[in-house]
Amino acid sequence: MRPILLSGHERALTQVKYNADGDLIFSTAKDQIICAWFSHNGERLGTYAGHVGAIWTVDVDPTTTLLASGSADNTIKLWDVKSGKCLMTWEFPTAVKRVEFNEDGTKLLGVTEKRMGHLGTIVVLDIKVDVNAQQNEEKAMTIVCEESKATVAGWSYLSKYIIAGHEDGSVSQYDAKTGDQLANYSIHELNTPVTDLQWAPDRTYFITASKDKTAKIITANDLEVLKTFVADTPLNSATITPKKDFVILGGGQAAMDVTRTSARQGKFEARFYHKIFEEEIGRVRGHFGPLNTVAADPTGKGYCSGGEDGYVRVHHFDKGYFDFMYEVERERANRLRQEAEQAQKQEQKQQQ
Amino acid sequence: MAAQAKYVVIDPARGQSALRTTNRKLTLAPRNRHDWADDDDLEETTQSELPPPQKISNKDGSTTVIEYRYNEDGKKVKTTRRIRLITHRETVSPRVAERKQWAKFGASAKDGQGPAPDTTSVGENIIFRPSTNWRKDAKDETNDPNAQAMKDKLKDKKVKCRICNGEHFTARCPYKDTMAPIGEAGAAGDVAAGMPDEGPAGAPAAGGAGAGKKGSYVPPALRGGAGAGAGERMGGAGGKYGERDDLATLRVTNVSEMAEENELRDMFERFGRVTRVFLAKDRDTGLAKGFAFISFADRSDAVKACQKMDGYGFKHLILRVEFAKKAA
Repeated sequence: MRPILLSGHERALTQVKYNADGDLIFSTAKDQIICAWFSHNGERLGTYAGHVGAIWTVDVDPTTTLLASGSADNTIKLWDVKSGKCLMTWEFPTAVKRVEFNEDGTKLLGVTEKRMGHLGTIVVLDIKVDVNAQQNEEKAMTIVCEESKATVAGWSYLSKYIIAGHEDGSVSQYDAKTGDQLANYSIHELNTPVTDLQWAPDRTYFITASKDKTAKIITANDLEVLKTFVADTPLNSATITPKKDFVILGGGQAAMDVTRTSARQGKFEARFYHKIFEEEIGRVRGHFGPLNTVAADPTGKGYCSGGEDGYVRVHHFDKGYFDFMYEVERERANRLRQEAEQAQKQEQKQQQ
Repeated sequence: MAAQAKYVVIDPARGQSALRTTNRKLTLAPRNRHDWADDDDLEETTQSELPPPQKISNKDGSTTVIEYRYNEDGKKVKTTRRIRLITHRETVSPRVAERKQWAKFGASAKDGQGPAPDTTSVGENIIFRPSTNWRKDAKDETNDPNAQAMKDKLKDKKVKCRICNGEHFTARCPYKDTMAPIGEAGAAGDVAAGMPDEGPAGAPAAGGAGAGKKGSYVPPALRGGAGAGAGERMGGAGGKYGERDDLATLRVTNVSEMAEENELRDMFERFGRVTRVFLAKDRDTGLAKGFAFISFADRSDAVKACQKMDGYGFKHLILRVEFAKKAA
């Protein structure tokens, strides 16, 4: 596969995100600009300018109408995806590290930083999925993280829970309606921050990445760790691939050590693991800095990664990727196909 | 209802290719990194004596585009590119098709159709094949056969001093200050050529002297074991060619830097027919390294020469002559 290099940013990437149809990629970096790209050929659709600080996070609603971004200028901004116009700005006392729309795009959560005497919070905003509507300025809810600040957060299925990953390596579950903390478990090693949290397509489980060099798949209902993927480098991001049972992990030596390590040693590769067997099945090299963020195309055709080196690399998988199966998987696929054929034959007989 | 989107990619196997973009086309940078976007600028600024660009349709369906331009030095550059266009039709949802028609905005507002070369480029081809034992595969890749052969050769090789051939590093040799290091290049050549020298004391076989340093590039002639290096080591004292020569080869040390091979030849020819004179020279400076090997056709001549020439004054230095030790 030939990756497409997107060089629209001048500084380290912070997040990349596909829209629900997988045809657009949104990327944010520390250079105060959000870029929108066509995923199939890397053409830049446009940029969203207005933030005056590093942008940490971006998310797009399921209909690709609205774009939300959180920045170090202490604001969440809402954008019109099509025109690039800023529709709304919410101000906070500290930087916003993560935003995420819920499944129907009517709610937006934002994770704010703990700084200058302010505790880290998770705020929930009501959103009207309409470019022309007047958005509500008031916060619908605020969850204060008193123990350890939240670094990432997301909405579970049916917007039932808010799941947050914390700086101390724990993961907690909040009731999305009341904001009560229902559970908090130490999932990752103590005091290794959870760096990413991404959902499976149905949002019943999610994957977390952590600086403790592991990524874990956890259920949304009872925060049970289902799978653990062990890497040899601190992880910045992890994503679950649709269509194939893989996960992609991204990480690498911390940015400040980059100049002292070669690209090979730095382990600046996207690592593919089998989701079920927890085994590493391959790596994709290319970045010359740590991978800060990876995202899988919701159609399963590819993935993209954003690095500390300022590049987004968009990959479209080859046939070999789709053909790859474990022996047991292949056997199972064959068995299912045979059974289906037999069932069909019987049906035909009955009809006759 | 489904709309159709059309875009174009290039057969990656063809490699050398670039593509002028029309609506929503994927551009691949040509291998020579020539950016077609620069063409127009250059054509405007330079006087137009350039031949017009040519387009030739090839039989296999590809197109050859020949363009001319001036480079920074004002020289005319001809760029030949072979382009193959493959149209992929993909059915996408109407939402996606509609988005493809959206007008660009922000910093991209002025960009034309298709990916802008300043923000989008195509990287080198990456082979990604998931595999259960990818770790093993990757390891095999790094261990190219060359390195593997080297490892095998060095497997039972011990640390050896270049001065006294003892089992320690040269820097730790007790004779470091009293004896001149010998056969530096010879020893290196040794390793490269895969001729383990286990002799207890003395002569490194200087066959491929100066051929290479440890762990560095090994020329093709020296790869793949001792036999392959025949050309380099013809008449040398090592390997299977060494048998005859070893008996009649003298090692001369404490040779002046200014010495020349033909001077040595003249000196030793007095005792009999000299088949080979090898004077180790520094690759960079061209000065002699201080040791040489003289091969005689007849062993008795060599014995005579050894007796007579040991202690002979040559260019203010006293030569030391002894029989070269056979390579193991």
